[in-house]
Amino acid sequence: MSASELSDQRTGRPDEIKAVPVRRPGRWIAAAIVLLIAASIVRSVVTNNAFGWSTVGHYLFDSRILHGMLVTIELTVASMAIGIVLGVVLAIMRLSPNPVVSSAAWLYIWFFRGTPLLVQILFWYNIAALFPHGLGLGVPFGPDVVHYTHANQLITAFVAALLALSINEGAYMSEIVRAGIISVPEGQTEAAQSLGMSRLQTMRLIVLPQAMRVIIPPTGNETISMLKNTSLISVTAYAELLYASQEIYDVNYLVIPLLIVASIWYLVMTSVLYVGQYFIERRYGRGFSRAEQLTMRERWLSIGSRQQ
Amino acid sequence: MVIWRKSLLGALLLSCVGMVGACGSSSSSPSASASASSSSTSTSTAAPSSSTANPAVAKLVPAALKSKGTLIVAADASYAPNEFIGSDGHTVVGMDADLSKALAAQMGLKASVVNATFDTIIPGLASGKYDMGASSFTDTKAREKVVDFVDYFSAGTSFFTKASGGASITGLADLCGKSVSVESGTTEETDAKGQSVKCKAAGKPAVNVLVFPTQSAANLALSSGRAQISMADSPVAAYQVKQSNGVFKLVGDTYGTAPYGLALPKSANSAPAVLAALKVLESNGTYKSILTKWGIESGAIPASEMKINGAIS
Repeated sequence: MSASELSDQRTGRPDEIKAVPVRRPGRWIAAAIVLLIAASIVRSVVTNNAFGWSTVGHYLFDSRILHGMLVTIELTVASMAIGIVLGVVLAIMRLSPNPVVSSAAWLYIWFFRGTPLLVQILFWYNIAALFPHGLGLGVPFGPDVVHYTHANQLITAFVAALLALSINEGAYMSEIVRAGIISVPEGQTEAAQSLGMSRLQTMRLIVLPQAMRVIIPPTGNETISMLKNTSLISVTAYAELLYASQEIYDVNYLVIPLLIVASIWYLVMTSVLYVGQYFIERRYGRGFSRAEQLTMRERWLSIGSRQQ
Repeated sequence: MVIWRKSLLGALLLSCVGMVGACGSSSSSPSASASASSSSTSTSTAAPSSSTANPAVAKLVPAALKSKGTLIVAADASYAPNEFIGSDGHTVVGMDADLSKALAAQMGLKASVVNATFDTIIPGLASGKYDMGASSFTDTKAREKVVDFVDYFSAGTSFFTKASGGASITGLADLCGKSVSVESGTTEETDAKGQSVKCKAAGKPAVNVLVFPTQSAANLALSSGRAQISMADSPVAAYQVKQSNGVFKLVGDTYGTAPYGLALPKSANSAPAVLAALKVLESNGTYKSILTKWGIESGAIPASEMKINGAIS
């Protein structure tokens, strides 16, 4: 500041600049309207007797329902684990320079994405009708290492459900993984090869870690979807969550409240997955975008701000 | 300023939609049962029937039903010969379908038989979606708490198993430790689960009851070995064994002979009209000829046993 300005301050000071943040009335009105609509929907649902809220409360922690929930979680975790592994293997096979290998992968993906999951579940469950003389595992066209006189001894109801879900999931995951792999710039692969890395090393150390950022959100989506797909297993009389609620309402005819009980638990499980996905995405998004690194608290506090 | 006005307009529109939506969701519409859209595919309608309407019966038909003109009948078409899908791939045919059409004709209405999963029919009647359930329902006291029944047939439960290597049992008591496939919501499901409780109380292994959405799925589970035995109403079991061309065979004794009832919503007050129509069909021989057509005349009941809510257990 110059000497003349300093002297101005001692005598007739100009008014301070009143810096007002940009007013955004539209945001507040929109928020108020959304809250009003939400409140009226909640009121209409809560005061509607047809929902049978007291029955819902009665059966919410029923042991059959909780056991069904456990089975659902088991199926989801196991099927996603196998499905992701299968998906990675198939994606790499698809991108292989070997035409037989990549065609085989293509055929698998085509078949298992092209038939409905429900039909696949019914086939795996009733597989003994296709192999009435038992199943053998061993060398193709050669001797059996182990032979089962009845297919159901190997493919139990749980194994059938697992096979149906994970094999179907593998087909969908392979496309997601392939999308992640091709999103990594080709320069990375070329640089790795110029350093003398083999194809497998390149894939494992350079490409896949970078592909994870693109793979994680759709995989989270698939996991949430798988949680709901396990409800299809109810047509094989296997006691997961939906079947457990069906067994209860078959006896007491209170269909809607029991379906609400099942829905509440599906929502709870899905919400837990949301939290998990949020933390995994932040971990794999490191070094890419600053916006993704904001915590939830920071996001909510910035509702009135100039940014975003 | 322009932007501000646009967002206000959008917000006003949203709130109008929201108000309408919130008001609509609190009142249900029980009378709109003509929408058979959420139950699966097809309907079959009878020929115009006003010429064969019986005036004494038509007098008893409730005004709401008369003005609608159509009797919407629900049946789970996986239960031959009582209700199943015909060779055209979408029409519900069978004893129950024929009987429903004849009854509607007597009442001066047109019958529309729709296919619906068995365990959704009674809830559908209670909610006004269907006018009648003609799906081999056993009239039981438990079900009478939810719907009214007009008794029209007599059937028991039979067991069937794979012809070669199937389980050999004589009755319910032999089910301990075996796996049984049944259809969801049926009395067979209740009986099998009840037997399981008795088995465990007697220190024997429980019955592994596998409940499937349709009888077809239960039959498939039997043929793929997931279940050792299946249970179904006696006319249905006999028909399925006959149609299976030697894959299945009947086993054990038929038990629990009880009346079938046409299920009707309690609020509709249509039971007297249906009962009157049924008795007319019995007296003019139509009832017997329909049963004979499907080979199940052995389950026919005399007019004296045709009654409203005649459950024996």
